Order: sequence, then structure tokens, then C-alpha cells
Amino acid sequence: MASLPKRIIKETEKLVSDPVPGITAEPHDDNLRYFQVTIEGPEQSPYEDGVFELELYLPDDYPMEAPKVRFLTRIYHPNIDRLGRICLDVLKTNWSPALQIRTVLLSIQALLASPNPNDPLANDVAEDWIKNEEGAKAKAREWTRSFAKKKPE
Amino acid sequence: MDHQITTASDFRNTSIPNLYQLDTLLRCHICKDFLKVPVLTPCGHTFCSLCIREHLNNQPSCPLCLFEFRESLLRSEFLVNEIIQCYTSLRPSLLNAIRVQRPVAATGADKISNSKDSSLIELVSEPENENSSAVDDDLQIVATSERKPAKRSMTDILPISSKSSKRNFTMFRSERIRKKSKPNEQMAQCPICEQFYPLKALEKTHLDECLTLQSLGKKPKPSINFLPDSKSHGKETPEPRLRTPELDRSPSDETSHVDKYLGSMANTERQRLPKINFTSMNQSQIKQKLSSLGLSTNGTRQILIKRYNHYEMLWNSNFCDSLEPVDEAELKRQLLSWDVSHNKPPQNANNNGGISKLMMMKNRGKSSYRKLLEDFKNDKFNRKGWIIMFRRDFARLIKEAKLKIKTVSPTDRDLGEQANKKDKGDSEQQVENIQEASWQRIEEDQEAAVSEKQAINEIILPNEDLTDADLSRELMDMNEGDKDPPGSD
Repeated sequence: MASLPKRIIKETEKLVSDPVPGITAEPHDDNLRYFQVTIEGPEQSPYEDGVFELELYLPDDYPMEAPKVRFLTRIYHPNIDRLGRICLDVLKTNWSPALQIRTVLLSIQALLASPNPNDPLANDVAEDWIKNEEGAKAKAREWTRSFAKKKPE
Repeated sequence: MDHQITTASDFRNTSIPNLYQLDTLLRCHICKDFLKVPVLTPCGHTFCSLCIREHLNNQPSCPLCLFEFRESLLRSEFLVNEIIQCYTSLRPSLLNAIRVQRPVAATGADKISNSKDSSLIELVSEPENENSSAVDDDLQIVATSERKPAKRSMTDILPISSKSSKRNFTMFRSERIRKKSKPNEQMAQCPICEQFYPLKALEKTHLDECLTLQSLGKKPKPSINFLPDSKSHGKETPEPRLRTPELDRSPSDETSHVDKYLGSMANTERQRLPKINFTSMNQSQIKQKLSSLGLSTNGTRQILIKRYNHYEMLWNSNFCDSLEPVDEAELKRQLLSWDVSHNKPPQNANNNGGISKLMMMKNRGKSSYRKLLEDFKNDKFNRKGWIIMFRRDFARLIKEAKLKIKTVSPTDRDLGEQANKKDKGDSEQQVENIQEASWQRIEEDQEAAVSEKQAINEIILPNEDLTDADLSRELMDMNEGDKDPPGSD
């Protein structure tokens, strides 16, 4: 309802004109607060060959309120649950209006590179991760192969 | 200017791309725009007053370093404020000045051979002496006849605002002049001030002047003294780099920011509004608080609290931080427009006068409605347009209202007094409604400056408290008000 704040326009422009390597974010035609995001799995992680789809929504109070981000692609990760919700401090308590879409997506990419099973969202995955890290990583790799898109060469 | 979206990357295609750093530093990290009424946090970071206050309403910590502090510790930064105002006023011409360099260097093939890069910029800034010599005028004619294609190619390369086009023209012209004059005019560098001058002029007058100035201990600044004397090309005027025509035209601009800074003082006239702990207050106390400030008391408890907090933010930012505070009426209008965009009217499907219906009117041409609503926030609000657009609905509402209250006389004040004097009405409920409405009216009349816009706003922002009678009353007022020109505008 409220008109689009300048800040969102600027961020969108920047994302399109100067994209972060390995990350794309495009606003939806009908709703400029809704972004379709893809993140490439970071190298040397179990997710490295996959491209993951996410959705990002900027609430009315953005930037006073954190953007809402969710994985659309299924992923085997201790901090991301079956519904794709993400356990990340900057999306919750540590949100600050000085952060922006770009930094949030970078944090998510970093989360893929270094899962944190000690602060889990998906308990079963986290347990698996702690008990048998290699096995869990193998499973994550397998899920990446079957659910995520192939990274373009 | 305000509606233009500028980013630091504007400097990418200039000769000094590193200026993007300066551009970035002068922006607020919350709104990403140039700092507006900057304030300093106790942890040393700077934000727009409104941005940081809004953030502190949610979370009492610095957005950059998460240092926790209270709102009352914010201090305004007068210096930064002036720096930014100065910078933003210079920015367009600065951008133009350093951006034109490249395309010109590409098109003008031969001129670089005999001049340093910097002289190009010096050329740019020197429109005053256009008519100072006859030679100049002659050349102008030559230049004008050749100007068209050149100018077109310029505009193709760059988006040039109308303001700056004259300057670009000047520059091109001087370029032509230089080309023209090259064969019979030799250039030489003055050993004292190190600027280039036509050799003759240098020998005749400039050297003497430069020497005298130097012996007087002044920095040689020959431009003004030198030009009228020389019959030839003032184009070599050594103006300081990057001085822009805008500045030349109004040198007072340069000092005014300095003066403003020196004269800046914390505003102590108005008391800051306190933060209120609403948990211990009941609804009527909150309403009382709001009405004592002259604010609308419509809406749920949550909306009331939000409205106070927002007003407190606007107030403190305006009266405590801003060097040019606006008056209360303006603040209230800002609050109203915030109300419009943030507190969506609650469901009032049973309100058969259907303001929500009125709002949702899709067949009205959404865009023009949007535009009107947009303008509602500023002075340009098109009252007539609004009334014309909803004339039929107004008429219908008024008719309905009249049917309901035909037993009572139509003017508000009379109604109020009548209702006060006689406790018994024909129908008790009706009188109650009317009483409520008229009280509201009278209160609003006291707020002469806001009343009109407020009345309109209350139409836009209806809620359960508002009865049909209230509504129609507001509408009638509006129509009446339209007949006699409003004094407040």
C-alpha cells in the first residue's frame, strides 16, 4: 500500500547493476518487495554443485524490520528446516537497519559454508551432523544432487 | 531534487571515481540517502534524526555497532548538516564537471596537444566574461554556427540537465575559440602563477600584475584584473579548479553554509516530548494524552500508542535536532500522512456509508486517485479534484445523513449548544451521536490550521468509533468549506 521507499529502489538497482558473485536477486513484477533469489552453494561445502532457490520478502517496516527469507529448494542443513526457514541471527534478534538485502544473502551463503549444529533448527539433522559429520555431509551432497539445480559451468 | 534517486555509483564514470567514497560517507546507513538532520549517537555513528529515532522505537541500540543507548543521548551534528547541504547543492555540477571531461577529450581531437588536462575544467567555469571583448563576440557567432552538431553529440553521450546545458555550450564555444585562435596566438605559461596565457597578454600586463601581487604577499589571482585589459581571450582564466557557474553566480552560497553553521544553536524553546510507558495507562488516559496534543483519538489502543510514538519521534526530531524546525501544524500533517499509509482502516463492512467502499472505488481510475492521495501528503493536495472525484459519494452520504438527522437543525455549533442545553432529545441516541460529533467539531475548530486537512483525513481513516452521522458531518463541512476559500492554504 505504502509507496516503495527510496532505499528499496536503490538496493534493487544495486543488486541488478552490481550483483554479488554467486547470488542473484530479482524483484517480482507484481510486487517489488518480493524477490526471487538464487544462491550458489559455496565451494568446498557439501552444497558446492547446487544452485538453491529462495524467496525474500521485505515487510512494510523494512528496514526497521528484517527481511523474511526462506529456502524454496529442499536442503539438508542443521540450521534450515523442512519448510525452508532459516535460523540466522541477523534475520532475527541481530537485525539492524544498517544491514541490507545484499548482506543478508551473503550471510546465508556463509551459513551454507559453515553449518552450526550447536544452534539447530532442524534437530534431527543437527544430531546427525554432530554424531556422524561425514555421513551427514554425504547426505547433504546427495540432497543437493537430487533437489538443487545444477550449477552452470 | 528530492525525488531524484542518486547513488554513489554515479561517480563511476567520472574522472575521479574515488569520490564515491565521499558520497557514501555522507549517506545515512538506514535510508541510504544523504543524511537529513544528522544526529550523533554516543558510540560515534551518525544517522538521520528520523531514521535513528524510528529504529530506537523498535530496538535501543546502534544499527552499526549494536551499542545500547537511549534516545535522549542523541546529539545533532550541525557541522555534518551543513557539509551535506553544501555537498548536495554542489553535487550535480560537480558530477557534470568531472563527467564531461571524457567525452570531450574523445571528440575534440586536437586541443589537448596544447593544453594541460586541467585547463579544460578551468575553461568550463567562466561565463561572466562573455561580452567583455569584441573578439569574443565575433567568435561567438562563428561558434554558434558550428555549435549544433557538437552539442547534439554531447547530449547523446550524457544526460544533461537543462540547467547545465548552457555551461556545456560555453565550454564548447571556448573550445572553438581556442582552435580558432591557435594559429595566430601563442600560449605561454606564467612563471609565477603557472597558468597559461596568450603570449602577448602575458608580456604586456599579466607578468607585472602577478609580480605586484606576489610582492604584496598575496596569492596571485590575476583572473579579474587581467581579463578586461587584455583584448583577447579570457578563456584562460585561472579560476580555481572545479568552481562551477552555479557558485560563480551566487558566491553568497559559499558563505551561507559557514554562517549557518556558526550561527547554529540547539533549540531549547520547545520541550522535548517524553517517552511514555503506556502499559500502566488505560485507553481513556491515552486518548486524553493524545487529545491534549491535538492529535486524533481514533483507532484501537495499539494504533493510539503507535500514533503517539510516531508523533513523539517527529516532534523531537523537528524541535530538538533540526535547525529549521517546521511548525506544529506541519508536523501534524506529516503524522496524518503517516496514519494514512500505516494504519489501515479497520474492517468496517457494517458501516453502510462505506468509506472503505469509497476508498476501494476501482472504477474511478486508480492512478488519479493514487495521485491525489500522494499529493495529500504535501501542499499540492488538490482539494477540488478530490471533491469532484467523490462528488457523487459525498452527495449520497450527505443525503443519507440528512434523512437521519432531519429533526435537528443543520449547523454544528448550534447543534452542540442545543444538545448541551436540553438534555432531552426526540431520540436519545440521535442526540448522543450529534453531541459527540459536534464536540469533535468544536475541538477541531480550535485547531484552525489543521482542522481542514484533519477533517479530510478522518474521512480517509474511518473506524468503528465513527458513526455515519459523524461521517456525513465531516463531508458537509468539507463541502461548505469549499465554497469560501480556505484561509489556511
